[in-house]
Amino acid sequence: MPVSAHTQVTELSPDAHACLTFGEQEDLLDLTAAYVRDGLASGFRVVVLSDSPQLAAAKLVWREIAAETAVAAGQMVMVASQDSLVGPQGFSAAQAMDWLRDQLADSRRQGYAGMRVALDMSWALRPMTGIEELPVLEEEIAAAVTGAGMSVLCGYDRERFDPVTLALIAPFHSHAVAAATYYDDPVLRICRQYVPPGIRLAGEMDFLAAEALALALGEAIRIDGDITINMANLSFIDASSIRMITEAAASLDPSRTMVLRCRPAIEARFAQLGADRLPQVSLVGVDEG
Amino acid sequence: MKGSDRRPDPASSGDSAVLADAEADGEAHLTLDQAFDSGTLYALRAAVQAHAMEAGLPESRTDDLVIAVHELAANAVRHGAGAGRLRMWERDGAVHCQVDDGGSPAAGGDAGPAGNVAERWPFLPGHGLWLVRLVADQISVFSAPAGTRATVVFSSGKDPSGTAP
Repeated sequence: MPVSAHTQVTELSPDAHACLTFGEQEDLLDLTAAYVRDGLASGFRVVVLSDSPQLAAAKLVWREIAAETAVAAGQMVMVASQDSLVGPQGFSAAQAMDWLRDQLADSRRQGYAGMRVALDMSWALRPMTGIEELPVLEEEIAAAVTGAGMSVLCGYDRERFDPVTLALIAPFHSHAVAAATYYDDPVLRICRQYVPPGIRLAGEMDFLAAEALALALGEAIRIDGDITINMANLSFIDASSIRMITEAAASLDPSRTMVLRCRPAIEARFAQLGADRLPQVSLVGVDEG
Repeated sequence: MKGSDRRPDPASSGDSAVLADAEADGEAHLTLDQAFDSGTLYALRAAVQAHAMEAGLPESRTDDLVIAVHELAANAVRHGAGAGRLRMWERDGAVHCQVDDGGSPAAGGDAGPAGNVAERWPFLPGHGLWLVRLVADQISVFSAPAGTRATVVFSSGKDPSGTAP
């Protein structure tokens, strides 16, 4: 079992007010994607708020979320923070709650059984008038979700928000959400990836973390279908780790694919060690960062 | 010590005779001399990367040098004494990296250097040392009573006439 005292994003109740504190942007995107995917599959209306809706939509599409289709059908709404929670005069909790209640009323009017709202809270890092009301907003959301058929996922970057703010807003949430993590130190992080299913490696991977990698791979290959090893933020991997991943791929039924997403230098290393010759392996290069 | 009781590993490629070692060649102008163990491999990689770039290796060759040194050091950590020493120097338009494995594993009484270089330095397809041989311009592995010494050479593409002593 991975070490985690948190609720899994896939197990949130329909009226959860969940707090996702993340260290990497990939965590926010991945867990938001899982939250959106499950909401759409349940027939809920899904509202995704971010600083850049276009960028957020593109990131969801990579994660096999049919964002455009859902938006066209009206089941999904991508909004910019400055057009919703934040008004032209700055921030006020009352105004933000008006926007949220309007969204809920819209969902009900359109006949949706429920609503999911994903809030990337990075807008609250900008200096603006009224931002001291942030804890008030979180408190009011907590009251509003109860019995309303609405859940809200608030994403806070734990590196950028100060600990005092995080300590203030955390108690108003019913759940703390984080990716299941197999290994985490300043050099390397291995965690579960929810959408598409698989694992994510970030930092530098070598034989010293072999046990954690074996555990993560073992859990990943037990699920059905294709799996993705997301190494977009991995800058080094040694031969023994490549061999472990390649052997896991070779153990898959040939009808299944292991997608290896990695930077060009890592992609070349996998090819050098013969991974590209396995029918189960699909090497996908990604840009750095 | 440097003469008859050292023998080239049969698996090594290249002309070992032309490979210098740090004592004979580079001691006076080592660019890096760093001890390592399992807890400091990350720092070792960072140092090698910085020095390789400083020496003018292109990015992809820097990556190759970093993994080559990592695999040699990892082998010393896993199959040698658990620690070792890296020395790095430039000569004749090439970067030389020499990894000493610090001797036999403390626990293995039968793991003396004589006759088991192949066992402690396995060149198996897909394994670390196989990869080192693939990416390095030259590699040599010598066994001596004090331990095993592996040297890799990466051409930096610079005009050697300018850097030769």
